[in-house]
Amino acid sequence: MTLNTTAETETAKIARGLRERDMELLADLVERRQHRLVRYLLYLTGRREYAEDLAQETWIRVLQRGSQYNGRQRFDPWLFAIARNLAIDYLRKKRKAVATVSLPNDRDAMLLLPSSDPSPFEAAARSEDAMRLAGRLQILPPLYREAMLLRFQEDLSLAEMAQVLGAPTTTVTSRIYRGLAALRSAFEEGDSHGG
Amino acid sequence: MEGDKRFRELIDRSFVEEVSEDERQLIHDHIRDCDGCKRYLELTARTIRGLREFTFTSEPDSNAQVREILAHHTETMRQHNVQFKVWAAFAVALSMSIVGSALVYQVAKLLTVPMHFDTAQVQAGVLVFWLLPSFCSALRLLAAPGENRGIA
Repeated sequence: MTLNTTAETETAKIARGLRERDMELLADLVERRQHRLVRYLLYLTGRREYAEDLAQETWIRVLQRGSQYNGRQRFDPWLFAIARNLAIDYLRKKRKAVATVSLPNDRDAMLLLPSSDPSPFEAAARSEDAMRLAGRLQILPPLYREAMLLRFQEDLSLAEMAQVLGAPTTTVTSRIYRGLAALRSAFEEGDSHGG
Repeated sequence: MEGDKRFRELIDRSFVEEVSEDERQLIHDHIRDCDGCKRYLELTARTIRGLREFTFTSEPDSNAQVREILAHHTETMRQHNVQFKVWAAFAVALSMSIVGSALVYQVAKLLTVPMHFDTAQVQAGVLVFWLLPSFCSALRLLAAPGENRGIA
């Protein structure tokens, strides 16, 4: 009960601060969430340079549309939803610029932009297991990759994930299971090869 | 084999969604006798643990950069907002000035005969004593002091 009340107060405070364009509150939000926002965008785009740029764009959008945050839900899913929409639009433009093929209708398909850059996941891996997963993460479709991040690193509930992804909960769970299966195979194959 | 598939789905679900205490007990009982499912559970747990072992470092001055950009945008938006309000106030004042002057002119026209004025005198009076002062007042809004100065 106390936790709920605290959470409500926190979100209401954020909503008020965003409505009033309170710079102190915005600076605090950036301080606490920039790192996670960049990580999410990195999972989504698979590229460091995109992630940093898009994070900046996301904060500007938060400033411009802050009054749309009602304070009744947690701030993080709202923030990630903005970041996701921006990332999709950004990648769509990139794709238009580099490709001559016609674009698929599904907005999510925009996330399937191929990358030839070195893996940011390998650079971030801090254990042997993480290193094994890094290779898989790089080739895992971004839709599954972001589902993995939102569920197991951001600890978002399935309902919150549905809000971020703009998809039904059944789609969300399906992406998590498929992502989990693909990543688990990194250990299954590795262990069987290793004996 | 079909049973294992069902248990593996249940294992996945136990990591992703809420499962009941009975279902948890069911998994626990099953893996005591099934090495395949036990290994499946361990690998799933290991995968999720591995996912938490990534540390992404931001650019050192990334937060400061973002704060700076936001401060700049806030100032720009504030200025636009002020500008909009000033022009809106000017538009309202100008409309009131025109409507008010028209009303005063109509009333003054009624007084033309009893006061022995001609129409030109009434027009000049309304222009000098009503329309020009109210128009100047409206214009003054555009050159308001403080933060509004210089917008006009």
